[in-house]
Amino acid sequence: MPRIADIPIPESVAIAARQGDERALEAVYRATAAPVYTLLRRLVRRPAIAEELLQETFVDVLEHIGAFEGRCPLPAWIRSIAVNRALMYLRSPWHRSLEWLDADAGRLEGLQSDDPAAARSSEPGLDRALMRLPALSRAVVWLHDVEGYTHTEIGTALGRTPSFSKTQLSRAHARLRDLLADAGTMKEGAACTPT
Amino acid sequence: MHADMNEWSVLLSALPDFEPPAAGWEAVLAARRRREDGNSRRWPVALAAAVLAAVAGLAWQLQSTQRELIAADPGSTASADYADDSVRAQNAKLEALLASLPEARVMRGSTAFTVSQLEDRLAFVDDRLSRITLEPNAPEHAERLWRERVELMNSLVQVRYADVASPL
Repeated sequence: MPRIADIPIPESVAIAARQGDERALEAVYRATAAPVYTLLRRLVRRPAIAEELLQETFVDVLEHIGAFEGRCPLPAWIRSIAVNRALMYLRSPWHRSLEWLDADAGRLEGLQSDDPAAARSSEPGLDRALMRLPALSRAVVWLHDVEGYTHTEIGTALGRTPSFSKTQLSRAHARLRDLLADAGTMKEGAACTPT
Repeated sequence: MHADMNEWSVLLSALPDFEPPAAGWEAVLAARRRREDGNSRRWPVALAAAVLAAVAGLAWQLQSTQRELIAADPGSTASADYADDSVRAQNAKLEALLASLPEARVMRGSTAFTVSQLEDRLAFVDDRLSRITLEPNAPEHAERLWRERVELMNSLVQVRYADVASPL
């Protein structure tokens, strides 16, 4: 799966999309919807919320495509909208996530998932371990390791410092290792086992 | 260390994509129509929310100014004396951070509501702090209130930052 920012969009399609051409916009949607939806699922976990955020992201794209100046690839711009949307959701008091975000750092040590969907999950290994991380840690891991965000960019997106992002990432990796070891999916000396 | 990062990157990137909902594009177009309809019907509500947020912000600003004036008087810093230095430093840092954020000329209705709620709670905490010296367990209570104040300020900064960073 390529990073969203690396998804190729032909220049002609990007230009037509910026001019509001609906067919070009639909082509952009079809090229980016799956990875953007995956990003949202990784960040907010619940499918219904991720679907709503996906819709809102692309409605924002339709509304503001004229203001996109092309200083970054179009998929990267779409990704930044999706990330902002997801972080806004995680901060929303309606979803108890102000506390959730603030408490995440302290909860890393005694990790517990409060998401019933995660508890029920039958997905094995890394996928399940990732979904059991608290929201903030999961966001840092996914944005850094998969989407290639720098710690400075993550710190900015979260309203925190780059060193906060580094600490979160390091702890989350350690927690992922523990979860994988507990699940018995990490074989001793396996080549794919980060240490 | 670097190799570890790369390995995590490889492993996580290899996880399968989730399948987006079917007819997603049509749903996006429908959602845009709903938002446009909603905007045209709800602008008076949004305006009212913005006015309320502005009034709450002004009240909070006035209270902040009052606090600064009180803080300038060494005889009136009783509640601040109860907070430890790190909490006060955090509070000051968050105040400075909030002040450095550009004022939003237009704010989403939901954001304005959240900001308004947080500022109301801050005003309540500040009011309690201003009366704290009369209470028997003043030091413990003041410390709790200062910590709550820092949490509220942190939330307010996050919400305001998200609003500023958002492309809307």
